[in-house]
Amino acid sequence: MRGQVPRRTIFAFIGPAVLGLAMVGIAPLLYAVWTSLHFYNLTKLKRVEFIGADNYLTVLTDEVFWQAMGRTFFLLGTALPLQIALGLGIALVLHQPGLTLVKTLARLSLVLPMATTYAVVGLLGQVMFNQKFGVVNQLLGGVDVNWIGDPNNAFAMIIFWDVWQWTPFVALVLLAGLTMVPGEVEEAARLETKSTWTILRYVQLPFLLPGLVAVLILRTADTLKLFDMVFTLTRGGPGSSTEFISLMIQRVGFRGFDQGLASAQAIILLIITIVLAQIYIRVFHKEV
Amino acid sequence: MKILRNLLGTVAITGILATGAMADNHGWSLKKAAEPYAGTTIDVVFLLRPGYEAIEAMLPAFEEETGIKVNIIKHPYENALGEQVRDFVAGGDLDIALIDLVWIGNFAENDWIIPLADVQAKFPDAVDPDLDIDDFFPLVLNAFGGWNDTLYGLPFDNYSGLMFYNRCILEEAGFDGPPETWQQLKDEYGPALTKDGKYAFALQSKRNETQSADSFARMLWPFGGSFLDADFKSNLNSDESQTGLKFRQDLMQYMPDGIVAYDHAETVNAFSQGDVAMITEWSAFYSSVVSPDTSKVADCVEIAPEPTGPAGRKPALGGFSLAVAAQADEAEQAAAYLFIQWATSKANAREYLERGGVPARQSVYKEDGLEDYKFVPALVESWQEGVPEFRPRFAEWPEITEIVQEWGTKMMLGEVTTEEGAQEIGTRMEEVLEAAGYYSGEKPLAQ
Repeated sequence: MRGQVPRRTIFAFIGPAVLGLAMVGIAPLLYAVWTSLHFYNLTKLKRVEFIGADNYLTVLTDEVFWQAMGRTFFLLGTALPLQIALGLGIALVLHQPGLTLVKTLARLSLVLPMATTYAVVGLLGQVMFNQKFGVVNQLLGGVDVNWIGDPNNAFAMIIFWDVWQWTPFVALVLLAGLTMVPGEVEEAARLETKSTWTILRYVQLPFLLPGLVAVLILRTADTLKLFDMVFTLTRGGPGSSTEFISLMIQRVGFRGFDQGLASAQAIILLIITIVLAQIYIRVFHKEV
Repeated sequence: MKILRNLLGTVAITGILATGAMADNHGWSLKKAAEPYAGTTIDVVFLLRPGYEAIEAMLPAFEEETGIKVNIIKHPYENALGEQVRDFVAGGDLDIALIDLVWIGNFAENDWIIPLADVQAKFPDAVDPDLDIDDFFPLVLNAFGGWNDTLYGLPFDNYSGLMFYNRCILEEAGFDGPPETWQQLKDEYGPALTKDGKYAFALQSKRNETQSADSFARMLWPFGGSFLDADFKSNLNSDESQTGLKFRQDLMQYMPDGIVAYDHAETVNAFSQGDVAMITEWSAFYSSVVSPDTSKVADCVEIAPEPTGPAGRKPALGGFSLAVAAQADEAEQAAAYLFIQWATSKANAREYLERGGVPARQSVYKEDGLEDYKFVPALVESWQEGVPEFRPRFAEWPEITEIVQEWGTKMMLGEVTTEEGAQEIGTRMEEVLEAAGYYSGEKPLAQ
């Protein structure tokens, strides 16, 4: 069949997309690789010079970079399990028969946190978690918790907002997975056992795995590039307690203006993201 | 060579001023000077601060008289440097550079701005004979607008650190006035005023320029410390610098929790709400704390110079100049110069002050009827005792301030000792200076 389609038609359909991708994705990437191999500081453009892998060596031996990376993975390791657990719970509840209108409304309301702009979430957080006037301390009985100015509390606050914003996404993806389970198979399983866990593990989970892999990949990539919400909420502080890897790259590249070093950091981050995505796919698809 | 250049610069300025004086005899007017540039649009970055609102309110008069349109692009302080750097690197639209005193080395060394003398020589008809450069406070003119003995910008949004104190709270606690020294503030005022959820003092220390300028540097200089020694090596582990940094740690017990998350807004708000008895803030925030619309304690606000330390007063110094951008075309450069000259002029200083700005003109503070501006005596005193290199003004400051912000905050949080933090900042700061060529002799020691 394919042979019958003129080559020109194929190019006409695919060409614009490939060209667009090359312009907005590949060209900047190649430029980032080029700058990462140079001393390239926006305020010292008279001194641009090729320095080979120096920027990469600086990044790989920079304690601050790895601390930011560790912090980012700690966020991923705490927020993602919470999102999956809560998302699965919500999906299972919405998968129950009956109460159609309520479930429809619930599904609609799940979209709201996801539709909220990241930066707006950060600004909301600043107001809601204000120590003196914030609604959170009022709701907790007028306690005097310093959320934004305490390193641990600030980190907890970031986890809270990430979970609030992205649990609905996980819930909707898993709900879609649950609807893929053939009705008769699930019905037959319910006749065999009353154990919800057994049904979840042996009947529903295989259908949830593709969605879970997608969630893992997307949420990992999202967390690694998490910027807007944290920038508007804590700006990486207090101290470095919420300086995740994307904030660090922005700081180096746009506040210190060292585009070469920031590009090297970004390339390393890209490599880590690709490797992780490959690991997820290999590990989980084997089980399926 | 440098001496020769400076000499030529001085001669040029003198010559131009003389030309200006002649022009005065021939009836110079803004309207006439702007005639060739009517219809020109100039782009400038403004901050979201009272001094900018003041000049914006005055702008219609300038536009009407000159026919020059001023296009204002507003940014919060934290974005202003990045936005301008990107614009200048890309050869963008900005015709005027808004320069914080610590950015001037950067802007000048990259040739993004033109020396004032060059602009005046290029457009002699635009030079107001009543410009009167000597009327600017010398410290402010040199620190905000000058680099390597060359004048680039004219001081526009001018700050000195001042002590804002709540007279009512202090009197209630039995104090007749504000502390004279930092030691008094900590030992006497601190314990007496920190109670019932209220605090004696707040030192804005958020991890951005506020941490390095308002918090870290503020505790170095009055105690005799400094960032660098005469050889441009770190001086942060000297006894004097360490005394200042340890003093900051001790003083934190009299500040609100989470002071490391306080930027200017939080600090001014805490003071305006009556939660904090004293703050050391920029003069630019005066109009906000004395306005009943934004301050619950407007009637109680008094102003004093910052307390003294063992090395003297050494108040914080900060502020902005406006300079003509090299990337602008001829007409835009002339129009930009006319705007800068007008915005910083003696003639407009009083109105600028009355609308909430802080001019750097000495003459305006000698006028009568300034009793309502309580900050004036303290400001004038501070501008006579300030340190131009309160923060080093060289081109490497953007990199160094990031280091200070990171480790200065870690010190305050107790994650490192003041010695460890100072060592870390010193090592990293020297790496930046080494790479810049200061130690190899490639670059002269800037200050």
